Order: sequence, then C-alpha cells, then structure tokens
Amino acid sequence: MLRRFVQVGARQATRAQSTAAAQEKWDLYAGVLVERLPVVSKSLSPVEQQFQDLLWRVEYENSLKSDHELKNERELAQAKLIKQGKVQVDLDDSMTKQTAQDLKDAYVEELKKFQLGSRTTPDDAAKKTSSTDRCLEDTLYLLVQQKLGQEQHMILPQGKRQDGESMRQTAERVLREQCGDDLQVLFYGNAPVGFHKYKYPSNQRAESVGAKVFFYRASLRTGNVGDKKTPGPKYEWLPKDALDGKLTNVAYADSIKKFLL
Amino acid sequence: MSLISAFARLGLQRGGVAGPAVARCLHTTPVLCAEPLKKKKKLDPQVVKQREDRRKKKIEKQIRRLEKNARQLKPVEELEVPLELIDEKDKRQRKLTPLGSAELEERALLKKQWARYKHDERVSDFQIIDRLVMSQNKALEELRRESEELYQAAIEVDLQLLPVSLKGPVASPPIKNYASPDGDYIHQSMKWE
Repeated sequence: MLRRFVQVGARQATRAQSTAAAQEKWDLYAGVLVERLPVVSKSLSPVEQQFQDLLWRVEYENSLKSDHELKNERELAQAKLIKQGKVQVDLDDSMTKQTAQDLKDAYVEELKKFQLGSRTTPDDAAKKTSSTDRCLEDTLYLLVQQKLGQEQHMILPQGKRQDGESMRQTAERVLREQCGDDLQVLFYGNAPVGFHKYKYPSNQRAESVGAKVFFYRASLRTGNVGDKKTPGPKYEWLPKDALDGKLTNVAYADSIKKFLL
Repeated sequence: MSLISAFARLGLQRGGVAGPAVARCLHTTPVLCAEPLKKKKKLDPQVVKQREDRRKKKIEKQIRRLEKNARQLKPVEELEVPLELIDEKDKRQRKLTPLGSAELEERALLKKQWARYKHDERVSDFQIIDRLVMSQNKALEELRRESEELYQAAIEVDLQLLPVSLKGPVASPPIKNYASPDGDYIHQSMKWE
C-alpha cells in the first residue's frame, strides 16, 4: 500500500517537472570572443634555449668551410709568410685589396647599426589595457563593460537575438553595435564555440527564466573599439592570466575558460 | 474499356438501336511506350579504316610528344651537391677535436629531456583540442535543444572563411615607418623550356 503511494507520488512529481521544462523560456544571446593573435613568437623556455644551442653547435660541427673562411685562412697564411720575410710584398696589390677580415668587420658594423623592432612596446610599460599594441607574445581577449540587471560587468560583448536572425548574424550585429564599425574581425565559422547559461533574479522571471549565451570566436584584423565620432564603452584587451581578475562571476569565468586556448 | 462503355452509353442516349454496332466498329490499339528501331547506317569499310588510322596516328603523336618531353627534366639545383664542394671536401672539412665522453653524455641527456618536454607539450595540446571540441559540441547540443532551425544554420559550412590569409607570429615585430633600403636586383633563375 505504502509502496503504491510512493509510486504514484513519484509519477506526479515527474509529470510536474516535465511540464515546467516545457514552459521554461530562455532568452538566446550571442557572445563574441574577439582575440588579438600573437604578433611575435614566444620567447624560448630554458629547455628550448639549451636545445637550440645544441642544434646550432651540431650544425656548425657538420658544416663545411665557406668560401669566405677559406679566403681568410689563405690571407692569414700569406701574412705570416710576409712577416717571416719569405715572400716579397706587392705594395700596390696589398693597398687596394680588401681582406676577408675587413669585409667581416664592415658587415658586423652594418648589422650593429640596424635596430630590430622591440618585442615590448610603450603601451606595455604604460599598462594601457585599451591598446592592442602590447603583450605581443600573447593572445589578447576583448572584454567590454556592459550592464546586466543593475550592475556593470566586464564581460565578452554579448547581445540578445532578434527574430529571424541566425546566431552568427546576431553575433556580428552585437559586435558592430557595441564596438563600432572600426573594429574589423574575422569570424571562425557558423558554429558557436562555447556556451553559458544563467538565470535572472527571481523577481524578473516573468517572461523568461534566464539567458543562454552562445559564444563565437573571431580574430582581430584591424581597428579598435569605438569610432572617432562616438567613443565606445569601457573596454580592455587582456591576456589569459589577467582575465581571472576581471571576470567576477565564477560560473561565467569557468564557461569562458573552456574554450580559451 | 471505359471508353467503349462511355460510347455505348452515348449511343443508348441517342437512339438505342445503333449502340452495339458502334461499339463493334471502334478499335483501340494497345499503348506500346516505344518506337520502331532505326535502321543502322551502313558505313563504307574503307572510311571506317581511315578513321581508325587517323585516331591511331593522333595517339601515337601524343605518345611521341610525351616521350620527348620526358627526357627534358628540369633539374632541381638545390638537390645537387655543387661539384666544388665534392672536389674540395678535404680542404673544407673542419678539424675539430673529437667530443669527450662527458660532452656526449651531456648531449644525450639533453636529447632525452627534450623528448620528454615535447611529449608533454603534445599531450597538453591534445587536451586543449579535446576541451575545445567538447565545448563546441555542448554549445551545439544546447542550441539544438532550443531550436532545430538555428542548429541547422550553425552547422552550415562558412564559405566566406576560405581562402583565409593569416600573418603568423614573427621573431621581431615590424618597425613602423621603416623604409627598406634599395638593393640590386639580380635575376638569376634559369629559364627551362
């Protein structure tokens, strides 16, 4: 008797759950992960550096002498002979001829004059997070300040889907609306790369229960947030390590980290 | 049959006397869904032979042309060791002192360490790929749960993505406003017919 009562109760409970699931309505949002890809290659780690040195040593050991080296050797031997007085010095010849050593010195001098581009930029030193010209070795991700409920949050740009749009079109529109036309990006495909959902506060669940955010990946081509006429919202370009400090919501940060490289 | 019966009914309505007679006079032929075979054209055997000869000649000519070109291979200069290097090998070899056992041991250890390092790197790469794929699958699953239509739009191939051009990371960043010095341009590559 008791068992039967329990079974009936369980059945009713499942029915109630399924109807609730059918009624639950979620808002669909598209988010965009805009990344500035690394400009310069990563600095070598100690192991990599050691192995690189080893490879260069082996390369040198296995190599044959070049024409330049042979010429240098010949000239050194000649100079030695002249010093010993065994060979007559041809004055005209020795004045005009450029020795291999002279050439080498000239090359070194020319190389010294040339300045390579610096791997760190002024924006690195100034810690100007709104600039894309910094942290050249790392991938930078765009965070934009947005209002969710009453508070402002630093999150990936996101926006609600309108009727008749695919999620990809929503993502493109959202990025254009929030960051302006100046920001040129390349979207990677039509499929979302990540997902996050959150519920609205209980007093705002009249229409829909919460939001489901579908994230798209895009890489920066040129430009930055905001036009010259209308300054965009507050935004930051951050490397992966710095994201932790900015994403205050733990669940959101976890969802994002699943599709970061 | 229905046609006949229809006519019969017509006859009955008109007078009734001529009815069966009309039905007897009317003939229908079965539908064949085919047409009579066409007569085969007879060709002059000499013309046939001529044509065959012509075709044979054409193929032979093509083969000859291929064989002729097969002999003229374009040399790949990079693959050939320059003759002067072979001739002067003794002169050009470096006279280095052979490596000591300590140095060899150190190198072997470093190579093993490198192998482990690369292995770890590869494993972590695979883990990252797994994580990304899982994340994407979950997103697609959730999208499908919301709307089949949006899911179908999401799994479509993005034709605009290709061809894509990416500038890889470089050793040192480009110098802004750098004017490259002009050098002499000497065109060296040989022309091969």
